[in-house]
Amino acid sequence: MTNSKQIAKPGDELPVQPAKRTNPLANVFDELIAFAQSRSLFMLHYCTGCGAVELPPAMTSRFDMERLGIQPMVTPRQADILLVTGYVSVKTLKRVILTYEQMASPKYVIGICSCTVNGGMYWQSYATAKKLNDYLPVDMYIAGCMPRPEAVIAGLRALIENIKNREANAWQDYYRRYDHYLGNQQRLFGETWQTPTDIIAEAEHYGQIGAETRGPHTALLEQHQQPLEAQPITLSIGELQRIK
Amino acid sequence: MSEGKALSTWLDNLLTELEGIEIRRKSSRRLRIDVEASALPALLELLRGRASYVHLSAISCVDWPDEAQFELVYHVWSYELQSLVSAHTRIPRKPGVYISVYDIYTPAAFFERDIHEMFGVFFEGSPDMSKFILTEWDGPPPMRKDFDSEAWVNAHFDFQDYNPDWLQEIIAQGGGIAIRPDEQRFSRGPEPTAKGAGNKTVDKGTDER
Repeated sequence: MTNSKQIAKPGDELPVQPAKRTNPLANVFDELIAFAQSRSLFMLHYCTGCGAVELPPAMTSRFDMERLGIQPMVTPRQADILLVTGYVSVKTLKRVILTYEQMASPKYVIGICSCTVNGGMYWQSYATAKKLNDYLPVDMYIAGCMPRPEAVIAGLRALIENIKNREANAWQDYYRRYDHYLGNQQRLFGETWQTPTDIIAEAEHYGQIGAETRGPHTALLEQHQQPLEAQPITLSIGELQRIK
Repeated sequence: MSEGKALSTWLDNLLTELEGIEIRRKSSRRLRIDVEASALPALLELLRGRASYVHLSAISCVDWPDEAQFELVYHVWSYELQSLVSAHTRIPRKPGVYISVYDIYTPAAFFERDIHEMFGVFFEGSPDMSKFILTEWDGPPPMRKDFDSEAWVNAHFDFQDYNPDWLQEIIAQGGGIAIRPDEQRFSRGPEPTAKGAGNKTVDKGTDER
């Protein structure tokens, strides 16, 4: 189990830890919120590979993740954790990124299995992405091929501990260094890669604009960006009658 | 059982009558036939229409770059004889065009589309030759032997660093990763300083353990 929050190149701006507020009551309130967040985690498991097999025993009565306050969730909009279980093919990676960007902050990414760390046994495969933290900010890696449910739960407990101490800030890294992540995505998917989410506007909303939020890659994105249009929804009377 | 044996003997005798094919009986239930590319559809039609081989299990493709050939293997199964016939044929690697057997076996469309995507063999008369699984792939056909997957990976992906800072904590706790220097992989060329330093600490970690 490795913690990727410390993977930073020399010269990188380290994420700023929230300073303790002077008002003791506000302090208590912040800690209460952090505790509540750490004990009510909804998990979206993106079951890409064989590691998903270890999740049913981890979630159900044998190891019972729910006693830690972790439950599976059906949609990314309502989830806190994105669990990527196993190898991520290039095609899947696009969907994983779309899913991640739909989630509301604060959000956490966990990479399970050796494949998300370094490609695992697919290190030579043209179709499998190697380093998940090149494309998404990974909070926690749980290595193993595959990790046992004990290891999965140990990893989740470590994440809970980090959230409680307000150290699980990888989601802020995605906004602060969006240019870096977008550059890696463009390297793999081509220059015209675009997601429906406006990350820079979101970064402004969360107050997370950093020095590397904008850069050459976001400039390239703006060049190619197609304006998003709402999908027309129509239902004609004829169809209604046919349904009856 | 004896009836099945009689039938397979009958099939062997029938096939030896044909010219231009080579049969090798691998076992009582497996038969290998090598046939010219021009005669393969006729052979399959015979096997399906007259010898109860109604099930096309798979079409497999083998790339032989030294002989500049693709080998296509048609595996057909008979439910009555309980036996498998593998019809092997070779086509030139360039232009890599062959005739579809979709009119004889309908499932061939699926296998031919797959082979077209993975090897670049075009099947004339196949109903759909569009992309199948690799819909977002615009490189060369990846199953060809001259496609260097490792070079492609090195050009498009990075691997993790071997000696990141966070590993030092784990090594201090008695853990660590031991990877032999000849097995270490670097995407954008080896980094001599980082590599040397990494080996030292990693060896130390394992010795302590």
